[in-house]
Amino acid sequence: MAEFEPKIVAFVCNWCTYAGADLTGTSRIKYAHNVRMIRLPCTGRIDFMLLLKAFARGADGVIVSGCHPGDCHYTAGNYHARRRWILFRQLLDFLGFDIRRLHFAWVSAAEGAKWAETVNSVVEEVRRLGPFQNYQQLARAGIE
Amino acid sequence: MSRIGVFLCHCGENIAGTVDPGKVVEAANRIPGVVHSVDYKYMCSDPGQNLIREAMRDKRLTGVVVAACSPRMHEPTFRRVCAESGLNPFLCEMANVREHCSWVHEKSELTTAKAIDLVRIMVEKAKRNRPLFPIKVPVTKTALVLGGGIAGIQASLDIANAGYKVLLVERDPSIGGHMAQLSETFPTLDCSQCILTPRMVEVAQHPNITLHTYSELESVDGFIGNFKVKIRKKARGIDEKLCTGCGVCAQKCPLKKIPSEFNAAMGMRTAIYTPFPQAVPNKPVIDKKRCTYYLKGKCKACEKACPAEAIRFDQPDEIIEVETGAIVCTTGFEVLSTEFFPEYGYGKPKDIITGLQFERLASASGPTLGAIRRPSDGKEPETVVFIACAGSRDPAKGIEYCSKICCMYTAKHAMLYKHKVHQGNAYVFYMDIRAGGKMYEEFVRRAIEEDGVKYIRGRVSRVYEQDGKLIVKGADTLLGAQPVEIEADLVVLATAMVANSGAEELAKKIHVSYDSYHFLAEAHPKLRPVETNTAGIFLAGACQAPRDIPETVAQASAAASKVAALFSADELSREPVIAVVHRTAPPIFSICEGCFMCEQACPFQAIEREEIKTRDGKLIKVVAKVNPGVCQGCGTCVALCRAKAIDLQGFTNEQVYAEVMAV
Amino acid sequence: MDQLRKKARELLESGAVKTVIGYGQGSGKAVRAVFIRQPEQTEKLILDERCRQNLAVYLLKPEVKNLGKPAVVARLPVLRSILQLAAESQLADGQMVILGISPDGQLLDFASLKAVADYVSAQSLELPPPEREQLEQIEKKSPAERWNFWQEEFSRCVKCYACRASCPLCYCSRCAVECNQPQWISSASHARGNLEWHLVRAMHLAGRCVNCGDCARACPVGIPLNLLTRKLGEEVFKDFGLRAGTTPELKYALATFRPEDQEDFIR
Repeated sequence: MAEFEPKIVAFVCNWCTYAGADLTGTSRIKYAHNVRMIRLPCTGRIDFMLLLKAFARGADGVIVSGCHPGDCHYTAGNYHARRRWILFRQLLDFLGFDIRRLHFAWVSAAEGAKWAETVNSVVEEVRRLGPFQNYQQLARAGIE
Repeated sequence: MSRIGVFLCHCGENIAGTVDPGKVVEAANRIPGVVHSVDYKYMCSDPGQNLIREAMRDKRLTGVVVAACSPRMHEPTFRRVCAESGLNPFLCEMANVREHCSWVHEKSELTTAKAIDLVRIMVEKAKRNRPLFPIKVPVTKTALVLGGGIAGIQASLDIANAGYKVLLVERDPSIGGHMAQLSETFPTLDCSQCILTPRMVEVAQHPNITLHTYSELESVDGFIGNFKVKIRKKARGIDEKLCTGCGVCAQKCPLKKIPSEFNAAMGMRTAIYTPFPQAVPNKPVIDKKRCTYYLKGKCKACEKACPAEAIRFDQPDEIIEVETGAIVCTTGFEVLSTEFFPEYGYGKPKDIITGLQFERLASASGPTLGAIRRPSDGKEPETVVFIACAGSRDPAKGIEYCSKICCMYTAKHAMLYKHKVHQGNAYVFYMDIRAGGKMYEEFVRRAIEEDGVKYIRGRVSRVYEQDGKLIVKGADTLLGAQPVEIEADLVVLATAMVANSGAEELAKKIHVSYDSYHFLAEAHPKLRPVETNTAGIFLAGACQAPRDIPETVAQASAAASKVAALFSADELSREPVIAVVHRTAPPIFSICEGCFMCEQACPFQAIEREEIKTRDGKLIKVVAKVNPGVCQGCGTCVALCRAKAIDLQGFTNEQVYAEVMAV
Repeated sequence: MDQLRKKARELLESGAVKTVIGYGQGSGKAVRAVFIRQPEQTEKLILDERCRQNLAVYLLKPEVKNLGKPAVVARLPVLRSILQLAAESQLADGQMVILGISPDGQLLDFASLKAVADYVSAQSLELPPPEREQLEQIEKKSPAERWNFWQEEFSRCVKCYACRASCPLCYCSRCAVECNQPQWISSASHARGNLEWHLVRAMHLAGRCVNCGDCARACPVGIPLNLLTRKLGEEVFKDFGLRAGTTPELKYALATFRPEDQEDFIR
């Protein structure tokens, strides 16, 4: 039986995590295939509705990653994002949504190894959780 | 209709080694909207670029996706190719199939499948890209420099010599700052005023510099290239145009016992006074808080004496409005007073003084004309104890940082004392010696080896008065923490360098961040040390962190060069990746309902309020508006907006949504 | 009640306001909002425990604005809504006369929004035990139980948007659900469309909801959707120390931050 390959969507900020992932590539560090990255200027730009859409499109897990607090290229975007995620996670949990499928990380432009580690560990965690049945059942309701 | 061209690069074997180019090209061709899909060994090379140019022409492409390395590598290259061929550069995107795919996975079907996904995501984005054009903002070529110490003086001269106008604003009656108070400077023992006063005079005489002393910043509005500044010129009480600087008023003033700020309370001044003889401008000012006329309506001795009839008791403060293109903040520092130290008697013993006070004693133009004398009885001290790190590097006192200059000036003070009092005993209690600058270590060695200053590694736990002497209780840690007790005649504390009073208020006025010590924050500690996070506002000198004179001068020149770069063009050209609030048809006019949460969130204060009115001037609604000169394009406002009235050009909601839907 | 009627009458007679928004008898035992424009009609105003509707919602409706300067009968949730709307620049000081009602039915006079804010700050805004109980009952369930509970509740949702219509803080002339370029929230009333709508609405009200409960009362199929906004309101208070509707100055949780905000879930 083919092993379940989770589909992971990652929303990353251009200045830190995207650059960190570039470094992973330049350093030729290998990691799991499963992630597809969406580049945004700052984590502050990441609307929580985008995360919902990713799940609706079949993502089994989502990673959101940006600059460490205090290092944001735009000074405060990641602080605003952090507050948004604190509330969003609590709401999702209250609704019974499996928040183990939603991961957050601070990966700087120098942390190529951390990016690979983050992807690998998220892929493994989500693989153990299996396909996101709850949301995929929802997605089948309705044509989009 | 979209006509997208996809260009896959092999990057030699870097991509082609793990990703199957044929499959990617074929899959790309099947994406709706793609009319051209090819691969080539090296897309960034000339032949590669030509492939793009030809396809743009032959297939009338409306967008280009280059699947290759990271956009952080070659986005400018390919955008330039597009621009040269007549396609707006923002219609060109890159799919990162090297750093994010071929380099991090083994050769397999999964890797090729991922590359295809990445291409598809960028094609969907590119289909929704709109042409964007650089934003032009006009620039007023006048700089405002806040603070007339050595940093402000250096910055002003550099900017003025580059050919631009400067407005130098100083809070005190004279420029010169703390450097004017110093006697000699390390490591050369130059006379401080001798090297400073020529610069001060140059500032006063420079045709490009307008000097406003005894003035403060009232408010700042606007943005880079277009600041609208209000300055409060406090009333000096004299007509500067008539005053000749003769000084008779100060001679006649009956109040002679006011502690002099310039002399750090080591000497006295009158109520109408010029801070020091070399003051620039050399005009007096009336201390309204002490002058008998302002307090009781009597005296007026200065008015009677003034030969030029220049005294104006009723002079009001003046508010001056100016437009400037850049602001340089050089507001400097203060030192902690001796009152801060309970273990040293809360500053009550007169013979415990700060380093700055010692400078005034040592200075030839000081209250003792350069003789080292005890403040209590005027006698020459035979034993002087210098305590380094008084307050600095001390979490218990709330100051964790090192004040940087104290090791050096303590050595200097000890040397100056020994030069003046050959048979005197000088002791320095230190924790470490920080002498990293050019010729600094040699200077400290001189103090120890040539001038016989005794260095004791240890801290002083108490200093108290006893029979007219000061008992200093410390320890010598190099002798195993052996207690050391010295009977001193004078104790000099190298107190911590702290942010100037009013720093927080000033920072708030100019929208610059500051840390818990109220030092102003630079944009990036390594690579952008003289810029702040507010575009157009720069900083230099000790207002940012403790530093010595050579560093301050270097930083001031650096800030000046940034200003000169800003002023070198008549218009500022900015990347158009900025937010924009959309308008729509009547009767709604704008989806924005004017809640202004975006205004509160914006890290750069780039959101303004705009009134939408009917043709007769009746107000319909107040909505948010993004200032294209200030917005940095982070998109925090876009994620925040509930109604989605604001969008980020280059990363619009539609574009990002399409990317997610393409995953 | 008499106090209120008298004051309302005075305001209309003197021309200080053109309309008084209050509660009146509806059909059967129901209470409905009334818009009194003639002084004699102030007898229609009633005030009892049934009068719970958040009348602040009418202050922003163009039809009501066209009637002229209003006075509005305001219990605590309405006072808080007014403050929150003022913080969001939707209402200005002096734009309406606020007929405050204390918890024991007394008429309160407020000269300005600052006076309202002072009064509100003096009230306890902690959740009363029955309301906290309702949240805890759901929090106690396992994630799977919670999911099933909400899916069951949302399955009845027909996307009538009565919840949105009744909430004073849902004043966007184009709601996010109405945006179809891109279609963020599915407007269909299937399981995903319903979940997306309620989730997004709760997030958009985080730190803005004053816990008046009108959304749940307005819902024709009885979904307890006020629990979602109430839960987030409590979280905002717990994590960021902010409560909606306590000051006319904007202090929105998601537009401000502290460097020390908790982050034990971020790698």
